[in-house]
Amino acid sequence: MITLESINRAEVLLYLGNSRAEMTEKMELLLDECENEILKTAAPKYLYKTVPLAESGLLVGESIKRHMQDCEYAVVMCATLGSGTDRLIRTSQVTDMSKTVVLDAMASAAAEQVCNKLEHIIANENDGKFLTWRFSPGYGDYPIELQKAFLTILDAPRKIGLCTNDNFILTPTKSVTAIMGLSNSPLEQKRRGCASCNMAKTCKFRKAGERCEF
Amino acid sequence: MNFKDLLKNDYIILDGAMGTMLQKSGLKLGEIPETLNLSHPETVKEIHRGYVEAGAQLVCANTFGANGYKLKDSGCSVREVIKAGIKTAKEAAGGRALVALDVGPIGQLMEPSGSMSFDTAYNYFKEEILAAEDADVIFFETMTDLLEVRAGVLAAKENCDKPILVSMTFEENKRTFAGASVAAAALTLEGLGVDAVGVNCSLGPDELAPIVEEFTKWTTLPIIVKPNAGLPDPNSNTYSVLPDDFAQSLSRIIDFGTVKLVGGCCGTTPDYIRALKAVTDGREYKKAAVNKDTAICSGTTAVEISEPRVIGERINPTGKKLFKQALINNDIDYILSQAISQVNAGADILDVNVGLPEIDEKEMMVRVIKALQSVVDVPLQIDSTKPDVLEAALRIYNGKPIVNSVNGEEKSLSSVLPLVKKYGASVIGLALDEDGIPKTAEGRFKIAKRIVDRAKSLGINPKDVYIDCLTLTVSAEQAGCMETLKALHRVKTELECKTCLGVSNISFGLPNRPLINHIFLTMALEEGLDLPIINPNDEDMTGAVRAYKVLANIDKNSADFINSYNSVKPEKRVIQSEHVALSDAITGGLKSEAANATKKLLEIKNAMDIVNSELIPALDSVGENFEKGKIFLPQLIQSANVAQACFEEIKKHLTKNNAAPVSKGKIILATVKGDIHDIGKNIVKVLLDNYGYTVIDLGRDVEPKLIVDTAVKQNIKMIGLSALMTTTLGSMEETIRLVRETPELKDCKIAVGGAVLTHDYAMKIGADYYCRDAKDTVDKAKEVFGI
Repeated sequence: MITLESINRAEVLLYLGNSRAEMTEKMELLLDECENEILKTAAPKYLYKTVPLAESGLLVGESIKRHMQDCEYAVVMCATLGSGTDRLIRTSQVTDMSKTVVLDAMASAAAEQVCNKLEHIIANENDGKFLTWRFSPGYGDYPIELQKAFLTILDAPRKIGLCTNDNFILTPTKSVTAIMGLSNSPLEQKRRGCASCNMAKTCKFRKAGERCEF
Repeated sequence: MNFKDLLKNDYIILDGAMGTMLQKSGLKLGEIPETLNLSHPETVKEIHRGYVEAGAQLVCANTFGANGYKLKDSGCSVREVIKAGIKTAKEAAGGRALVALDVGPIGQLMEPSGSMSFDTAYNYFKEEILAAEDADVIFFETMTDLLEVRAGVLAAKENCDKPILVSMTFEENKRTFAGASVAAAALTLEGLGVDAVGVNCSLGPDELAPIVEEFTKWTTLPIIVKPNAGLPDPNSNTYSVLPDDFAQSLSRIIDFGTVKLVGGCCGTTPDYIRALKAVTDGREYKKAAVNKDTAICSGTTAVEISEPRVIGERINPTGKKLFKQALINNDIDYILSQAISQVNAGADILDVNVGLPEIDEKEMMVRVIKALQSVVDVPLQIDSTKPDVLEAALRIYNGKPIVNSVNGEEKSLSSVLPLVKKYGASVIGLALDEDGIPKTAEGRFKIAKRIVDRAKSLGINPKDVYIDCLTLTVSAEQAGCMETLKALHRVKTELECKTCLGVSNISFGLPNRPLINHIFLTMALEEGLDLPIINPNDEDMTGAVRAYKVLANIDKNSADFINSYNSVKPEKRVIQSEHVALSDAITGGLKSEAANATKKLLEIKNAMDIVNSELIPALDSVGENFEKGKIFLPQLIQSANVAQACFEEIKKHLTKNNAAPVSKGKIILATVKGDIHDIGKNIVKVLLDNYGYTVIDLGRDVEPKLIVDTAVKQNIKMIGLSALMTTTLGSMEETIRLVRETPELKDCKIAVGGAVLTHDYAMKIGADYYCRDAKDTVDKAKEVFGI
């Protein structure tokens, strides 16, 4: 089971637009309140499975093939904060939009932290082996349409209630699917960064001269 | 043999896992298990045969995921997969066991968590059910969303006459993924008239025990239990409980009573079923006593009417100018905020009435019910005089609602009660008929009895009929009040029905109405009133109910009462001052100070001047600070909200002086079809609102046609569309195309925004403006409207 004790403030501020803005007491109180509510509501659930890459049907496009170079196996994973978080954000929208954007940023950061913890669990279980970093549908030319295949392989709708809609948006929305290459020998560390991100052209962080943690 | 015969047995042995068995026999990664019905029927048959030989009396065909969504890309049709699946199971059973069409969840989340509509789910289920002519029963399994189950059960009821079994999947917190409690599941499903309810999957038998025990308290239907063989190991996916231990655990569960259908889910094999048969053979069925009172529920939460419960009356346009305006403008958020404030004030149930001659009541009722259920957990009371409106709402309501109302008139009895029965609701029965409201308690009691008797004859549990003995205005008919209370007392004691009353009518035409209302409410509670329909925001009224519960020894240790009044926290105030300049109040996010400053300014300046020389410049400077990276996004929104409080003051002032409210122009906002991210759009809404534009917010996942129709109807000059995903840009393009094809909208400008959009792309799909953020949208609106 994965539980979160706190949410990464720096990342939350990054999501809130201006991470270098001046912190006020009022803003600090709002951040505390929202962090508590997300920690209370989020019910992290996850699944993962080691699969032979060739049979997985997941090697689609150039980006993933480059990413999986020298890997025969991969770990397919997914994680979600559950539908309660979506509901909390939805309800908050009716009465307080400023609080809502903070809740939303907190939830996104929390989902990312759950993935980091899950990656840790997977790495521990594969001690002695080597993993690439997480690659998700939508990165580079990796088709977002593969969401359904990821979820089917993991039996995610049945086991943790994670689905996609017809436009391949994951529901509940604070959820992630990803794949990591698994190899018995050390992997060439491919650079992780803006070049491999499909948001590079429109990214707000880049425009502001900042970087997300990707 | 049919299911009815099978029910005569003390216990019915079901089968065990199919999915994990197929995996063992070499199912390929990502392969859809149900397609094996066509490609490898022998493998499937072998598994069924194993279960039948182990003693299973009812087996589920391999059709769990055989729906139109999951099979879409498989190259197989739903019909052929289901036909083959049932044929294979029948052959394996060879008359020794019945065969069920096994129906799992469609595989997409329903609105509001996902995008699947009730009708879409219904049609997927209908397709499955129509293909299953040869099945003996319909068995819904592993369901987590009550609304999806309702779609399935209705599809089954309306398209076949086979018995219906429903089993849901719960987590250790006794809720499903979608948040449904055991009580909500039991109430909703028993209401719909299914033949058995229960639990399967997710947990092993010991972990399921408390969930089954909870079921026994809420239902008289036979209970189904199909646990996993323990909890799965996350990576290897193996299960840890052995057959004999599994059977022993189930044997303890059977002791709770009412459990009648037992089998296994993931990880179980014929050995588990054999062990189950051994522990149930020769054992006598026993039924647990249901100890719950009549109750209603939402998709998540049940409210037992075992003590007075407050029904909030505020969602109703009667006599409310702002509410009427909100309905006409499609301002669903206004209605939602009314709902949330009532729930926060202590409402247990909300009455929902949206009847207004200017609007399509049926369509609005459906929209409002869906929206309400996406943000509040309390059950709703569907309030309309039109049976077609009631039915449309009952169909899509998630849970078991109250219908408001039926009366003693034949026309009403014969049109409303069948709906109550079909959809499994509770109903308010008004003690009046074609001759009006009887003057005497005796007359009203007679009508109440007529309603209850008719309900009984239709198979409605009389406990689910809540009688309203009707409050008359005491200033017009002074003797009426005591007659109402007398009738209420008789209904409560002689008919053993729950009672409800709209309270505030009593004081009409008198001074100091709150005092009369408050005392009348207390008198009625003492006579046995269960469901006062009041304004929960009225402190004295909700307070009277709370105090009554203390004095009547209902609120044990006064816990609720103390909780309601002892925890009032002193409000945190950063600045305590009456005299803050408007601009400082806006940049500082100080709502009440800003409102006060506006009031003062209105004494010396005209409204439009304040807007243009004070409010807008202050907002602009906040916007500028945001653009320069000096403040955070929530602070920008906070300032906008403060400005909103100022606009409210100005509006109030103008209405008082009979001047038209300030609006610079009407703008439609919508998140396009298929996209469910609407936070960005809502930020834009707040800002536009506060720059004095009137926003018609159509919400998220909006059909292009609704946008165009609304724009034509309201003569709109600017439409703002948002999309967050590359996959939904297509819907954005489609919407723009439709607007362009509509001659009435040739002058209408379209602004678009969203994370994946760029200026070039916006132009390519035919938009007039690309807006990089909320502030930018305001600038574009200024361009369009010239102010």
